[in-house]
Amino acid sequence: MGARSLTHLTEELERRFAAGVEKPWPADEFNALAMDAFAIQFEAIPAYRGFCEGRKRTPSTVSSWHEVPAIPADAFKHLDLSVGEPEVVFRTSGTTRGGDRRGRHLVPSASLYRASLLPPFEAHVLDQSPVRIVSLIPSPEHSPDSSLSFMVGAAAAAFASQAHWFVDAGGALDEDGLRTQLGRSSSTDEPVLILGTAIAILHAVERFETTPIEPLPDGSWIMETGGFKGFDREISRADFYESVTSATGVPRGRIVSEYGMTELLSQLYEPVLSEGLGAAGVFVPPPWLRVRALDPVTLGEVGPGDPGLLAFFDLANVGSVCHVLTEDVGAVVDGRVHLQGRIEGAEPRGCSRAMDELMASHRPSS
Amino acid sequence: MPATAGYSKEMAVAVLDGMAADWTRERLLALVRAELRTEHALDGFVHTADRSAMAIGPSLCVQIVAGSVPGVGVTALLRSLLLKGPTLVKPGRGDVILPVLFARALREVDPDLADALAVLYWRGGARSLESAALARAEVVTAYGSDQTVAELRLRTPPTARFVAYHHRVSVGIVGRDALSNDEVDRAAADVALSVALFDQRGCVSPQVVFVEEGGLCGPEAFAAALGEQFRLLETRLPSVAPDPGEASAQHQMRGTAELMAALGEVTVIHGGDAAWTIVLDGTGELVPSAGGRCVRVRGVSDASDVPALLTPFAGHLQTVGVAGLGERLDPVARALGSVGASRVVPFSSVAFPPPWWHHDGRGPLLDLLRWVDLEGA
Repeated sequence: MGARSLTHLTEELERRFAAGVEKPWPADEFNALAMDAFAIQFEAIPAYRGFCEGRKRTPSTVSSWHEVPAIPADAFKHLDLSVGEPEVVFRTSGTTRGGDRRGRHLVPSASLYRASLLPPFEAHVLDQSPVRIVSLIPSPEHSPDSSLSFMVGAAAAAFASQAHWFVDAGGALDEDGLRTQLGRSSSTDEPVLILGTAIAILHAVERFETTPIEPLPDGSWIMETGGFKGFDREISRADFYESVTSATGVPRGRIVSEYGMTELLSQLYEPVLSEGLGAAGVFVPPPWLRVRALDPVTLGEVGPGDPGLLAFFDLANVGSVCHVLTEDVGAVVDGRVHLQGRIEGAEPRGCSRAMDELMASHRPSS
Repeated sequence: MPATAGYSKEMAVAVLDGMAADWTRERLLALVRAELRTEHALDGFVHTADRSAMAIGPSLCVQIVAGSVPGVGVTALLRSLLLKGPTLVKPGRGDVILPVLFARALREVDPDLADALAVLYWRGGARSLESAALARAEVVTAYGSDQTVAELRLRTPPTARFVAYHHRVSVGIVGRDALSNDEVDRAAADVALSVALFDQRGCVSPQVVFVEEGGLCGPEAFAAALGEQFRLLETRLPSVAPDPGEASAQHQMRGTAELMAALGEVTVIHGGDAAWTIVLDGTGELVPSAGGRCVRVRGVSDASDVPALLTPFAGHLQTVGVAGLGERLDPVARALGSVGASRVVPFSSVAFPPPWWHHDGRGPLLDLLRWVDLEGA
């Protein structure tokens, strides 16, 4: 087999990513690239090779990306899985299940990551360009190990006239700065794009509920990501939108949700800007990412429209492992994800506490 | 009960038999005597050489139990009823059937006593219901996660006593004496049973078993023997098919362990569709845990090394199952106690502590009552 080098495949992907997300990739083209990526990853990552051999799935026995063994997302917490020397190392925030142990994703090509994140952002988040970005996500300078910060930094560099950062690496909100900036936008009637985690946005909205701001100029909009876990009270998605709209004046139809995780370099977006509210709760992958819903017990693919554990094959992960099994539940219809959220049953059912959670909470943070 | 608790029928029978064995006059009277010296202390002043004292149970004991280990609710309500304390129990979601059946049975044999007991289920965290109950309690007990317990503690009035049973971790030690070719299968069978009962959900369930190196069988051979015992147990005490959340956690855990195994860092033995997994861990790195019968085996050069390894868990440590320590049992148990363990016990008895155990290191009745001293009489 003519093994391709990572460099060669990375270059090809970078070129293809640059062509944008509008045109779907034919199944055979996607599959050929996926097989090349699998061969490279199988060869270069001993743990993955052993894992695949244990399942009798190797580049010589597998012909479709569906059959390529998926690694659990949790593996990023325990192993370094990288094809080459990493250019950047991204860390998970530590808010996921399994205690506070943080995972890390070693990324050999920052340039490929940049190439993969810009077109979907442009297609689903950008409404006009250049745009004034108000970020409630820490800047990449402040959080160099956050893939989300990297993404916002890259998008700002590519599309923003100005970017303003109001949350520091510790998550603290610069409320005065934010008020001043939003006030300025209101007085000049210049729309802004606010980017933030759902929790950071909620924190800002809570302050605005105490001391209101002027409604943001027409045309302003918001991209939010991440769930509400870790917020100090229970909140539903409907409550979230209601609070955000009432505090900022930004209507639901101009609040775009992003779905992403450190373990996957590609992002999915809710296409409400282009398709309207009918697309609420639906997430569109870029053409270089395929997603399936799997039965949680058998890991067999469920029927179309039935919910299951989401498994992603992400070609942007060419430098680590492309096929990743998550603990998120959703249904896949026409390649799009109808997201339901984290699988239930996360909390221990008895009176014993998971030991690794305790261990993690006693571990000095890295 | 099997359906609500998520257990196989065989497991439900084993758990019920083990729990109910303690719900007898003889065993409960022994509990009262172990803590109060005599049951008469509940009926009036008991005079000893230096004082006269009487024990008074709570005017209302509210017990809020989380989780799905059947029997925990009944054991809890028995303790306050023994002290003549009117009792309101909110059982755990998977443990509603037994306390209800118990309350009905009690009504048949003793309607007056049954009037002092209410079993009411609500979803834990329902604030208005819980606040109403907490406001009237003299004693509140809370069984659940650290977070659940902390929240209830905050909402309990300062005048009420709060008794917490937060989440715990338990472990085991297999010493060299149990690692001869003759003994290893029996030790493995006892360990397997201690893990399998409650499908690893009990506070007593060992999550890590430390195995001494240098015996005839090493940790690898012990792990293999343990796998064989889990396999046998699937017939006698089947694990139930995991629910989707548990199945998902199991895939994450096994997959991660298998990746680590490919590097030679750990060895994984699992039951395929059956929910048991053994991770033989040579690195000291803890792989993630999941529901079901999941246990880690770690080699140690000597049992006396174990207490130091447990210091990070001090506030959560509870039971240590033991086998094959011979005369070293006493010094090892003392060292375990000093790092937080409250119970050191042969593996065969891990699952069912007797009524008079010091539950999490304290007297379960003494925690609920108050004393009246009569001086100068």
